[in-house]
Amino acid sequence: MANLTNLYDVSKCTACRGCQIACKDWNQLPASIEPFKGNYQTHEDTDGDTFTIIKFFETEDPVTGVNWSFIKHQCMHCFEPACMMACPKGAYTKTETGATVHDPDKCIGCQYCTYACPFEIPKYRKREDKISKCTLCVDRTVEGLTPACARTCPTGALTFGDRDELLQKAEDRAKYLRENGYPNATIYGKLELGGLNKLYVLTDTPDKFGLPVDPHIPKNISAWQNVVQPYFGWLIPLMLGASAVSFVTTRLLANKHGGHGEHEEGGHE
Amino acid sequence: MKVTRRQFLKVTGATAAAMAVTDLGFNMNATASAIKELRIKNVTPTPTVCPYCASGCGLVVYAQKDSAGKFQKLLSVHGDPDNPINIGGACSKGAAMFNLREIYDPQTGEQIINPKRVQKPLYRAPGTDKWVEKDWDWMLDTIAERIKETRDSSFIHTEKLADGNDVIVNRTEKIASLGGSGLDNEECYLLSKMMRSLGLVYLETQARI
Amino acid sequence: MTNHVVDLKNTDCALIMGSNAAENHPISMKWLIRARENRGAKIIHVDPRYTRTSARADLYAPLRSGTDIAFLGGMIKYIIDNELYHKDYVVNYTNAAYLVKDEYGFEDGLFSGYDQENRKYDVSSWDYKYGEDGLPLTDPTLQDPRCVFQLMKKHYERYDIDSVCKITGTPKNKYLEVLDMFCATGAPNKTGTIMYAMGITQHTVGSQNVRSFAVVQLLLGNMGRPGGGVNALRGENNVQGATDMALLFHIIPGYIDSPMNNAAHKDLISFVRSVTPGAAKLPFTNLEELRELVKEGFPNSGWKIHSSKWVVSLLKAWYGEAANAGNDYAYHYLPKRDEKKNYSHMQLFEAMHRGEIDGLFVNGTNPVVGGPNANKEQAALTKLKWMVSIDLWLNETADYWTHQAWDRPVENPNVAKYTPAEIGTEVFFLPAAAVYEKEGTAAQTGRWVQFRWKGADPVGESKSDLWIYNELGKRIKKIYAGSTRKEDEPIVNMTWDYDNEHGEDDIMKVALELCGFDVADGKPVEGFAKLKDDGSTACGNWVYCGAMTFKDGKTIYKPQLRKKDDPSGLGLYPEWGWAWPMNRRIVYNRCSVQPDGVTPWPGDEERQLVRWDPNAIADPTKPEVLGKWVGVDVPDFIGTTGPDKPAFTKPFIMRPEGHGCLFAAKTSMKDGPFPEHYEPWESPTANKMNSHNLNPATKVIEPDKQGDAEKYPIIGTTYRVSEHWQTGALTRNLPWLAELMPNMMVELSEELANEKGIKNGHDVIISTIRGDVKAVACVTKRFKPLVIHGKHVHEIGLLWQYGFKGFATGDIANWLTPHIGDANTMIPEYKAWLCDIRRA
Repeated sequence: MANLTNLYDVSKCTACRGCQIACKDWNQLPASIEPFKGNYQTHEDTDGDTFTIIKFFETEDPVTGVNWSFIKHQCMHCFEPACMMACPKGAYTKTETGATVHDPDKCIGCQYCTYACPFEIPKYRKREDKISKCTLCVDRTVEGLTPACARTCPTGALTFGDRDELLQKAEDRAKYLRENGYPNATIYGKLELGGLNKLYVLTDTPDKFGLPVDPHIPKNISAWQNVVQPYFGWLIPLMLGASAVSFVTTRLLANKHGGHGEHEEGGHE
Repeated sequence: MKVTRRQFLKVTGATAAAMAVTDLGFNMNATASAIKELRIKNVTPTPTVCPYCASGCGLVVYAQKDSAGKFQKLLSVHGDPDNPINIGGACSKGAAMFNLREIYDPQTGEQIINPKRVQKPLYRAPGTDKWVEKDWDWMLDTIAERIKETRDSSFIHTEKLADGNDVIVNRTEKIASLGGSGLDNEECYLLSKMMRSLGLVYLETQARI
Repeated sequence: MTNHVVDLKNTDCALIMGSNAAENHPISMKWLIRARENRGAKIIHVDPRYTRTSARADLYAPLRSGTDIAFLGGMIKYIIDNELYHKDYVVNYTNAAYLVKDEYGFEDGLFSGYDQENRKYDVSSWDYKYGEDGLPLTDPTLQDPRCVFQLMKKHYERYDIDSVCKITGTPKNKYLEVLDMFCATGAPNKTGTIMYAMGITQHTVGSQNVRSFAVVQLLLGNMGRPGGGVNALRGENNVQGATDMALLFHIIPGYIDSPMNNAAHKDLISFVRSVTPGAAKLPFTNLEELRELVKEGFPNSGWKIHSSKWVVSLLKAWYGEAANAGNDYAYHYLPKRDEKKNYSHMQLFEAMHRGEIDGLFVNGTNPVVGGPNANKEQAALTKLKWMVSIDLWLNETADYWTHQAWDRPVENPNVAKYTPAEIGTEVFFLPAAAVYEKEGTAAQTGRWVQFRWKGADPVGESKSDLWIYNELGKRIKKIYAGSTRKEDEPIVNMTWDYDNEHGEDDIMKVALELCGFDVADGKPVEGFAKLKDDGSTACGNWVYCGAMTFKDGKTIYKPQLRKKDDPSGLGLYPEWGWAWPMNRRIVYNRCSVQPDGVTPWPGDEERQLVRWDPNAIADPTKPEVLGKWVGVDVPDFIGTTGPDKPAFTKPFIMRPEGHGCLFAAKTSMKDGPFPEHYEPWESPTANKMNSHNLNPATKVIEPDKQGDAEKYPIIGTTYRVSEHWQTGALTRNLPWLAELMPNMMVELSEELANEKGIKNGHDVIISTIRGDVKAVACVTKRFKPLVIHGKHVHEIGLLWQYGFKGFATGDIANWLTPHIGDANTMIPEYKAWLCDIRRA
């Protein structure tokens, strides 16, 4: 099956944030209310109950004047997901339509994926002691429905469909924008990290929207996942030189001894 | 896309298994527990219209009902794809319509009635600092009495015009009514008719402000 | 809106001014973005602040709050000077050619007839010269110095680009770009739309701001055509319907003046004479005689010639059998207001503050947050003996008597403070059902009336407002039952039969009465042209007549229609819901075709809505009579008016002239036939366009509450964000929206922040002569100081959507705003006042 994805066109987004709420409605997520700190973007980042946010960027150019740009931020559903490589329990899987889904039943809350993701997407949900993130609404898309975010987008900034078709649309749109006042317009997600199952049309270079220009997976992770994980998944955190080591290790070992760990045998239904 | 969930998972599982060996070197299984059952499957939505900005976007309400058809709880509220004004779109306000009735508790994640909704008529006696629950009959009867007391004691039936003739004016200036722009037309109509027949002239809605 | 939301896709250029469409009417941007993609349309945003709308516009131009007439006056001059107006349209469809009385004049900011003492105009000189046939004299060459066109040209001579920019603070290059871009829609094959909201209306010159739009759009030939129009983006889901139902002191349902205690309204026939244009001096003494005159038609009347039918049918709907030919159809039951008094929102609260009002109904509104000078309005509530509040939540008004309600960020001796023990108001709170917990119709901003079905049960014991009013009405009637007092007749005889066989409220019964029925058989009246003034029809609101129909043995309530066909491709969706009047989707649509009624505007065939078909049969019972208006939209025109009648080229059927008014004659406006620039009541500068700072016809309610620019040098304004709605009563109680905009904030420029030592995220205090508000500072590049007459002036903006209830809380911005309003409508001047700001 073809990859099904979202195309997000920043030039059509009004930052109404319908997508942010529709995501909560569909995924049954509580609000996470934080005080206003002087920015419309009240969530600095996604969190365990907030799978997507609109980021706001205010800039000024001596010639073109003030500019306020918005970008939707959520899981990129990478073709080669770092979270999946890093997960010691095989909680992450790819669907055939290209969504990276996380299985809370397998998750042990070790949070290693949160350190691996180049977009810092997986978030820890304390309430359940699990990771959570955008699912690209696979429960909807398997039934032929559009993801909640794309479905609610009032202006058509966010659309959903076959990735190849959307990629063509994105290329055309970027070309149009380059010829009509946005000389730096480009697309994002085509090639980054070997391809993302999220596509963007940008009116300027990716850095202007807080996107990593050249995202990459930490080398150790990509190396380890080929060698270590299939055999000694639980060792991964031991090899990680990050502050989270002991926490993660404890989690993993506790889980192992607790006997909750499932072996990655797959093949449900 | 016309693929059932079962077919889809089957295909996914098979391909993922193959890929696990040949491509990425790890297991790729979209497990049943990772993909939830579509919770609005076979649920008929009810169309309504957004109560906010007056653009008139359509919304659909998905609700869970028991076998007798009695309403149980909300499932989701989102844009009405048939409505030509919004074609399924909904901004943050429209998309948050579910919360108007129900919310997910931030502590437990459970679906509960919005705790800010008032569920019983409330009465505050003069000079007190608390609300007291009352029943509808008492409330409506008491309000009707207050209306009568105030109206009858302040009612102006006739006035003398500059030309010396009397004219019937049938008004009270002691009772006022505000609001109505959030009501339905039929409700506004009843309010307008009732208040004017009582003689109100201080009758205003949000259109003025 | 003269047009509607989907129609925005048909425009060539949108001027969004006094509206933050992307944030407050997000779906409108869908259609504008589509217009840009499909037709290459341009989007212009003119606003004091760069917003999410500006971010999606092709052109953004700032202006100082309260200077819209200067901005638009300059546009009118630019259109005339450069001959960019749509000439055929202007000559044929507007009053440009009309000759104006010699007594009319204008000098240094004052129109003829000014009464300084009472701050009002005698409008008798604002009128046309009439010929012997009783019709206005015209000069179609537009050369006569007394014709409207020449007077207008002279009036706006002073509005040159430099003078305008000094007043508005708009950079000249940006202003020129706006003029160039929007005025290009004067070409016959182009249309441009103007979208506005409260940024235009909430000023002491609010009505004249809108008038300026009308003048621009008439000059450019943009009215009555797809992609054009003067489009008010209304703020509440059914504010249109609430206005239609006349929940306003000055009208009764259907936009008919409400009766007053004067000789002109003393009985039914006097009242009908007074509300029927052109009828003042006609020889009739009863309805029969009037009926004969109406049949013949009389000059300067327009469609309102039928007013008697609307009034009598309304009385029949309300008072049933008690309304008959023998008693003036119970006309005297209607309350007559005191002609010397104004009962509008601010005056209502002034009266309450003086202790003149005992009881108050608060129907899903929240004046403690939303009312101007809210400190005073809250204090006024303490004078009430009783208050009934109907809402989903205990909003700030329902809870105004609590300790919390009187907390203020700064001790201010001028701000009243009470404790619950000191407040003697008895408060009744009735919990209401939410929108999808009940059913009914709402009229959206484009006049589409849509039905909402019930999708969930009301929570707890909450009830629909329909149930509440129906029950209350029954109880009121019960306690008055049997009364023989004359003054109780309106209640005793009021029809109130809305229960179904199970004793429950039946919305269809209400709808039938509202839309109108034949008294003899109870069947719906099929349209307002069929309403009668002989008591044979009853109709609660003639504007909604035709929304209910009886077909094939079934009653159809048209707002329930959900057919998605759009045969014209113009987005009219004739069978989706129902639009008033008579399902016309674009009003004044006669203008979409040339004066001959047949030819589309050159190059604009696709946007022609109606046409005269000389071969069509209008009435099947008279097949010999040929000629009828037809089209993709319902003609907003009398269907059989052919080229032989003078009205053939008079598209504005609600106007006595039948023509669009560049010059607002007679009683249309209280403050002048042409819009003229005046400063807001509180302004950092003197008026340089004339020597009157404040609109001369505006009433000053609280002269001692005017802040001066020495002490309060900064312009303050208020507005909303996408994530909250109005006073926030609904949205601040929703966790998902509370998290998006959790607290009260104020936006200010980096320059002002530097001057005041304020950093982003700081708590700050904003003060006016009326009160103080604490807010979180949002320091932004999107506000810039403006250069006004050579001086730097700062403007800041506050959200007026916060209060002390809900999940998202903050101080109430309206503690700062003044009790002064527009000369015509008394809408408060929320949008421009003086303040200062400091770190908390």
